[in-house]
Amino acid sequence: MAYEEPITDYDEIVENCTCAFCGCNCDDLDYLVKDGHVVGVRHACRLGASKIMEDMDQRLIVPMVRDDNGELKEVDWDTALDKAAEYIANSIRPVMYGWSETSTECMKEGLALGEYIGAVLDNQATICHGPSLQAVQNAGYPIQTLGEVQNRADVCVYSGSNAMNSHPRHLARYSVFCRGFFRSRGRFDRTVVTMDPKFTDTAKMSDKWIGFEQNGDYGFYNAIRAVLKGKELSQDVISGIPKEDIYELVEEMKNAEFGVLFFGLGLTHTLSKQRNIDIAIKMVQDLNKFSKWGLTPMRGHFNVNGFNIFMAFETGFPFGVDFARGYARYVLGETNTIDLLTRGEPDVFLVIAADPGAHFPNKANQHLAKIPVIQIDIHWGPSTELADVVLPGSFIGVECGGTSYRMDGVLIFMKKAIDKPETCRDDEWIVRELKERVMKLRKEPNVAPEYIPNPAAQ
Amino acid sequence: MHYANTYLDKPVVPDVNINKEGSEIVLKCMLNTGSDIYQGACKKRGSTLKEEYKNVSGTCYMDPRDMEKLGVNNWENVLVKTDWGEVVVNAAASRDAPHEGTVFICKGPWANTVVSSDTYCCSDPTYKGIHCTVEKTDRKVLLMADLMRLVYKKYVDEDDDETIENMPSLGELPVYKKKE
Ligand code: SF4
Repeated sequence: MAYEEPITDYDEIVENCTCAFCGCNCDDLDYLVKDGHVVGVRHACRLGASKIMEDMDQRLIVPMVRDDNGELKEVDWDTALDKAAEYIANSIRPVMYGWSETSTECMKEGLALGEYIGAVLDNQATICHGPSLQAVQNAGYPIQTLGEVQNRADVCVYSGSNAMNSHPRHLARYSVFCRGFFRSRGRFDRTVVTMDPKFTDTAKMSDKWIGFEQNGDYGFYNAIRAVLKGKELSQDVISGIPKEDIYELVEEMKNAEFGVLFFGLGLTHTLSKQRNIDIAIKMVQDLNKFSKWGLTPMRGHFNVNGFNIFMAFETGFPFGVDFARGYARYVLGETNTIDLLTRGEPDVFLVIAADPGAHFPNKANQHLAKIPVIQIDIHWGPSTELADVVLPGSFIGVECGGTSYRMDGVLIFMKKAIDKPETCRDDEWIVRELKERVMKLRKEPNVAPEYIPNPAAQ
Repeated sequence: MHYANTYLDKPVVPDVNINKEGSEIVLKCMLNTGSDIYQGACKKRGSTLKEEYKNVSGTCYMDPRDMEKLGVNNWENVLVKTDWGEVVVNAAASRDAPHEGTVFICKGPWANTVVSSDTYCCSDPTYKGIHCTVEKTDRKVLLMADLMRLVYKKYVDEDDDETIENMPSLGELPVYKKKE
C-alpha cells in the first residue's frame, strides 16, 4: 500500500475512546475530529479505524417505510415508529434479533418490549458462539480475564481463530506481544501455538502450527486428553497429525506456567459444533491437574457477550429466549432464530444492530422475504434490501455512550465523542418509543395463564 | 476534507499466472466460509453496496493448484454450487495456501447463498465444511443489491432468475424516495 500522509488537519483530539468493533473492546483510541466528523483514529487496527471512519454514503439518515411499489420512502419519525409498532402489536410470533452492536441500556428496553408482547429475543451468538455457550453449560467455564493473560500467560493457543484477521490487536494488546508483570520481555517470554487447518496469518507468526484436517478438531482434542491421562495412542496419525507431535505438544502444554486457549468460529462452525468446545473445555480442565490453564472464546462483536451476560442475568438463559408462553423458555434448535426462520414460524422480524441479510443462510433469509422486517441500524446493508421499516440509530462509542462487555466479561463504558446526525435517534430511545407505542396498541401484556393445581392430586 | 483512507479496490492476493486450459471442467471441493480483515473492514464501515464489498466478500479463495486445474486466473469468475444453492463469485489465489481441495468464501450475501442452514438442533448453521463444486463461468458477479434482488425477490414482480439477473443494476448508492 502506498505511503499516506498522516492526518494533521483536525480541530480536536478526543482521547480514551472505545472501539466498537470486535470483542477486544480496545479502550485506548484517540479520535481526530474535524467539523463534527472523525477524520482519523489513533491506535486502532484496520478494522476499528475503518468502522469508526464510517462510509457516510451509506449511513442511514432518515426513517423509511416501503410503499406499495416496494420502494423505500422517507417518512417522519412518528409515521415510521407507528408503522413498526403496528407490525409488532399485531404479530403472533415476533422475533427480535440482533443487539450485539448496541448498548446494554438499549437491551434493557428491548427485553421489556419482548416480554410484554411474548417475543423471541436472540442475538448473533446464535450464529457464532452459540455452541460455545451450550458447551459452557455442559462442561463449565474455566475463564480468566485478558489482564491475567497479559501479565501471566506464557503459552497462548489459538484454535480455530484467525486473530490477526478478526481481532487484530488481540495479540498486541492482551496476549502475545505485550509486556506483563511476569512476562517482562513480551513476545520472547511466550510461546504461541495455532491450531487451524489453514496456514492463516495467525499461524504465520506463531511458534507452532498444528494443521489438523478439516472436521478433525474433535478427534485431535480427544487424543490430547488421552495423552494427558497417561494413555498410549494406538494410531500413528490422528486427524492428520503424527502422534509424536501430539506427545510433544502435550508435554509443552503441561509445562506451561500459565496457559490460555483462545478459540473461535473454526471450532463452533464445523460438524461437531458444541461437542468440539465441550472437549476443548474438558481438555483445559485436565490440563489444570498439571498447571494453570484457562480459556476465552474469541467473541466477534463488541457487545455480543454483553447480551448473553445481560440475558443470563435477567432471565437465566443466554440467548434464544422465547417469551411466547408468558415465561422465559430456552430450547436449543427450537427457539433460535435460524431454526425458527427455516421452519417459517416468525410473522414479524425486528433486527437491531445486526445484519441477517449478510450473515444468515439463504434458507433462513427466504422467510424474511415473506414477512415484514423492521430494521434499526446505522448503515444501509444487505438487510435493508429486505426491510419494510428502517429506523436510523446512532453509533455507540462514537455518537452515543453506552456500556458493553468485553470478550472476557469485563464491563467497559464507551463514551460519546461527536454528535449524531440530526435526524438519527439513539437506539435506546427508538426501542423505548416502540415499546410505548406497542403498549398503547396492545393493552394486555402476554402473561402465562394462572396455574391452578388440581386438588385431587394433592 | 482529508480522511485517513481505509478504502481499497480489491484485496491483495498472491500473483498467479495460468496460461493454459484447465484439466477439469468441474472441480469437487470442500467449502469453508468465515471472515478476513478486508471483508470485516469493508462490511463494518458500511460500504456494502460498493464494488469493494463485491470484491472482498464475493471472492472464492483457492489454492493455486486448484486454479490451475480449472484454468482460472485471479479475478476471473467461477460458479460455486452446493446442495443449498449456487452463486457466481470471483476466483483469487489464497493467502493461506496450501489448502488444496478446500476453497474459502468470506461471509456475506454471496456465501449465504450456498451455505447449509442445518443447525443439527444447536442453533448454529453449518458454515464450514460443505461439499461444493467449482467451475468456470461467463456470468458476472453481482453487486450486493442486485444479488439480494435475485436471490430473495422480495420487491420485484418477476420470478425468472435469468430476467432478474440481467435487469439494470441497482447501483452502488442507496435508492430511496426522498421527501419533497
Ligand atoms: S482489535 Fe478489535 S476492538 Fe481493538 S481496535 Fe481492532 S477492531 Fe477495535
